[in-house]
Amino acid sequence: MPHIGQVNPLVTFWGTRGSISTPGRTTERYGGNTSCVTILYKNTHIILDAGTGIRNFGLDIRDELGRPESQQSLHLFLSHTHWDHIQGLPFFQPAYNKDAIITIYGSPYKEKFLASVLKGQMDKEYFPVSMTVFSADIRIREISEETIRFDDFTMLWQEQVHHPGGSVRYGLQINGKKIIYATDVELDRIFQGNSSNDEEKALARQYLEFVHNADLLIADGQFTEEEYSSKVGWGHTSIPLLLDVAYEAQVKQLAIFHHDPQHSDKFLDEFWMANRSRFHSTYEKMDIFWAREGLTLEI
Amino acid sequence: MTKDEDKTIHWNKVSDQSSSDEESEQGNTAQLSRKKLFGEIPIRQQAFLEIVGRSEDNEVIELGEQEIIIGRGPDCRLRLPSETVSRKHARIFFRNDEYYIEDLGSTNGTYVNDIRVVKCALRKNDLIYIGGVKILFNE
Repeated sequence: MPHIGQVNPLVTFWGTRGSISTPGRTTERYGGNTSCVTILYKNTHIILDAGTGIRNFGLDIRDELGRPESQQSLHLFLSHTHWDHIQGLPFFQPAYNKDAIITIYGSPYKEKFLASVLKGQMDKEYFPVSMTVFSADIRIREISEETIRFDDFTMLWQEQVHHPGGSVRYGLQINGKKIIYATDVELDRIFQGNSSNDEEKALARQYLEFVHNADLLIADGQFTEEEYSSKVGWGHTSIPLLLDVAYEAQVKQLAIFHHDPQHSDKFLDEFWMANRSRFHSTYEKMDIFWAREGLTLEI
Repeated sequence: MTKDEDKTIHWNKVSDQSSSDEESEQGNTAQLSRKKLFGEIPIRQQAFLEIVGRSEDNEVIELGEQEIIIGRGPDCRLRLPSETVSRKHARIFFRNDEYYIEDLGSTNGTYVNDIRVVKCALRKNDLIYIGGVKILFNE
């Protein structure tokens, strides 16, 4: 439900972990569920990825969907179809609600059609029931070059090549605000790669233009600088590089997202403390925080 | 949305013979609270708010399952008599075995660890700022 006095979009983090869910006491603060973020404006919910975090979101809106005045149309945008971005879908309560309409969007540039990939994870070899048990009206769309518009939203998108299998970043424009969701991409390859390579230069320029002046950038920051050196080609960004790039793009608020499974709360807090003075002095005009499960912000 | 029907699949219209014997099952799980799990066994929630620096000994409020309102209004359970605090500024509530803080449309905002929040699940050692007052959450 919209929050008391809400005039701007609300962003909620339901899953912030990368690669695999990491339940337990050591990840309670920043969360153990995999990628899922929602944006609520008026009565429309935008869902970004369907990692295990989507389950709690589904439970949270279960009662809301039953109300006659509620918006029963949900829009789910998938960055890509790796496990940690789709695994929560079979446990998403609204998919079993016959009154709900769920439109799922994903990249058109895949070997298999998006619908068959999603169906595949509910194949009986992997899951007890197939996707046909969903009673909601589920519409699966591969996005096209045309801009996506519905209600008060405009959704822009771009392909991200530096992730195994590729991924999509999304840019939502709503009520004069710009919210970017750009996870699962190895920005180090673009911004620290071969600078004489025109293709990489073009990708860098494209990224900076896409995220420029964002009110909120939710971005992959899975590795420390030290970790990254042994994980080149894994498709994820190092935190210091992300900060530099976001600052150059004049991002107002940066949520560092897709936490590495090995990064406990203690690790992230200690990393923050160790780098706090650097973050505060260097990136003075940009608010930076660890994306945290259970957090809702007004943008 | 621009119409592009040839690229849209209406999932429910796609037949799947292999799953016909499984369709009565439900592929989701219910949320089960500790209270339900343990039946009548009372589980004492022990969580506290510690108002930092308001008195010599920090004032401590034990939280239960009842919602508490924080503000400068006379009817607030946690009263913070400061002009920078709204009359009903924020509430703390208990849901699904977790404590949350939610801003109630305050003028100066509610912060958790320096982040301005609308709502936030609270974790041990979270530092809440309300109108310049520091409140430590512990459990």
